[in-house]
Amino acid sequence: MTADDRILAEVLELLDELAGDWEYDGPIEPTTRFLRDLGLESLDLVVLGTKLQERYGRLPFTEYYAEIGRRPVEERDVTVAELVEFICINRAPAPVTGA
Amino acid sequence: MRRNVFLIGLDGATFTVLDPLMERGVMPFLRDFIARGVRAPLRTIMPPLTPPAWTSLVTGLRPGRHGVFDFFQKESADSEYYALATSQDIQAPTIWSLASAAGRRVACLNFPLMFPPPDVNGWVVPGGWMPWRQLRLGCHPPGLFDELKGLPSFDPRELALDMELEAKAIEGCTADEHADWIRLHGRREKRWFDILRHLLAKDEPAELVAVMFDGPDKLQHLCWRFIDPASRPEHPEPWEQEVIDLCDDYFRDLDRMLEQVVELAGPEATVVLASDHGFGPTRKVFYVNQWLEQHGYLRWRDAEAGGSDAGAAPQVGFAQMTRHVHDLDWARTVAYAATPSSQGINLVRTPPDGSPGVPPERHDELLAEIAHRLRKEPLVLDVLTRTEAFAGPHAARAPDLSLVLVDGTAVSILRSDTLVREREQPNGNHRWRGILVASGPELRHGARCDEVSIVDVAPLVLHGLGVPVPEDLDGQLPAELFDPAALARRPVRHAPAAAPAAPVPAAVAPSDYDLEEEAAVVSRLRALGYLE
Repeated sequence: MTADDRILAEVLELLDELAGDWEYDGPIEPTTRFLRDLGLESLDLVVLGTKLQERYGRLPFTEYYAEIGRRPVEERDVTVAELVEFICINRAPAPVTGA
Repeated sequence: MRRNVFLIGLDGATFTVLDPLMERGVMPFLRDFIARGVRAPLRTIMPPLTPPAWTSLVTGLRPGRHGVFDFFQKESADSEYYALATSQDIQAPTIWSLASAAGRRVACLNFPLMFPPPDVNGWVVPGGWMPWRQLRLGCHPPGLFDELKGLPSFDPRELALDMELEAKAIEGCTADEHADWIRLHGRREKRWFDILRHLLAKDEPAELVAVMFDGPDKLQHLCWRFIDPASRPEHPEPWEQEVIDLCDDYFRDLDRMLEQVVELAGPEATVVLASDHGFGPTRKVFYVNQWLEQHGYLRWRDAEAGGSDAGAAPQVGFAQMTRHVHDLDWARTVAYAATPSSQGINLVRTPPDGSPGVPPERHDELLAEIAHRLRKEPLVLDVLTRTEAFAGPHAARAPDLSLVLVDGTAVSILRSDTLVREREQPNGNHRWRGILVASGPELRHGARCDEVSIVDVAPLVLHGLGVPVPEDLDGQLPAELFDPAALARRPVRHAPAAAPAAPVPAAVAPSDYDLEEEAAVVSRLRALGYLE
């Protein structure tokens, strides 16, 4: 499993755990959208970002939100895969291993 | 000897509202409780706002030293981006961490900036802007959320705040929405009380028990003219009379709940009742970014568009956090207000579009000029510099200038056709003087004291627990609240300055995450300056 696959799996696991407390009973997949599909509000996404930074280190979420905010209203949403891609691109580089 | 302290937060509570309620018999318990304890006006900090004020109350420090200035925090000193304030922004020990370190158990319910939950010795259920869908992540220790789900009254939707309703409460509801709003807050308080009672039934309950009831703030924002006797309509319409009665009902129920909390505390406990700021009426809205534009310090990106305030209910989330990023012409803007709540103005240092910011050598001159011109505005009582308002190691993340406005005038950061808008009806808004009521075996009975500072509450709580008070706090034990003989028998103990708060540990343990790899990543982050 690559680091990116592992992050995707961890984010999906976290969302599955949380969705158990919501009305949402559909599948959560990489293509699932946070706002339209899961019914989250943008504050949910902001708080989720705080949680993810605990695990993956500091991430430029506010710039990311600003980029989303520039989109047309109907496109202001994020899929699970897009969020994971954002984390993978911006998280601290993996440590160099080897002799 | 086991010493217990109960800290009951009443967000936004003010004696100007509570005194008439007590006189009319709506809050008889509070009246009697005050009669056997001690009361004082509680002076809050600048700005008189929930996140920095409660943080000052629980740290004994002013914002420049604890690091929280607003609901939103600058990402860094030179950044124009703002992030939601979290527990990780609190750069100082709190009563929770100090009590935990001294071996006391704590229960902290519905206080703001408790997410991610700090690793305290006890229980945390966060309040503030904690979305209900993620309340599970905010509960400490792990497993608490599932435990609480067993309570018949547990409902995350109503424990946490509904931000859509919050926005309405600030901007105004229709007549029939008032009643639902008030009833909702009555139910919320009951749900928090039930969690408190559940935690106190444990074999080893907390010694520092803190619960926040935030309905007073919510109701006073929207319903000030129905709560304040001086503002009530002379001949209320039927729906207005219903709102007046429901507000009375809310405070009547709150009074009964306070009675039950104090009963649970027992006669040997010290009970501290405090608010983060006061409240009063406001009719005016000051459009600070419009003022900056009119005086040549700010340019909107789309200069042709007209005022955009009409119908623009405040949003919470990334739309609000990043509105200024999209709306401003950064190449022609030198100062702006990013949030209405901070009452602050910032110089442009690192524009998001890559434009050159205001060079450092111009900062002082420009700020002095803006402050001088603002002080000529009739609504502006004063303009404080960062040094005046927020001296301390974290001041660089605070606004450059902070406005003090007449009669709690509200601030808007939106575009407008006018600098000042008059509301049709008065709303409630924050004031400097909150409340402090305390009762306990060592405290005076039936005494009224002069103003106490909000930073004196943390020493009061720590001393009540028998925990030494760090010697470097801005606050000090308010000795005037104590029976002199009792204080002589057990004088305040001081401790060396406490170490800064440790980074909040992750509440979710990495499942299949290689711990060695994680350690290496943390080491790397530290090397890069991301972690201390």
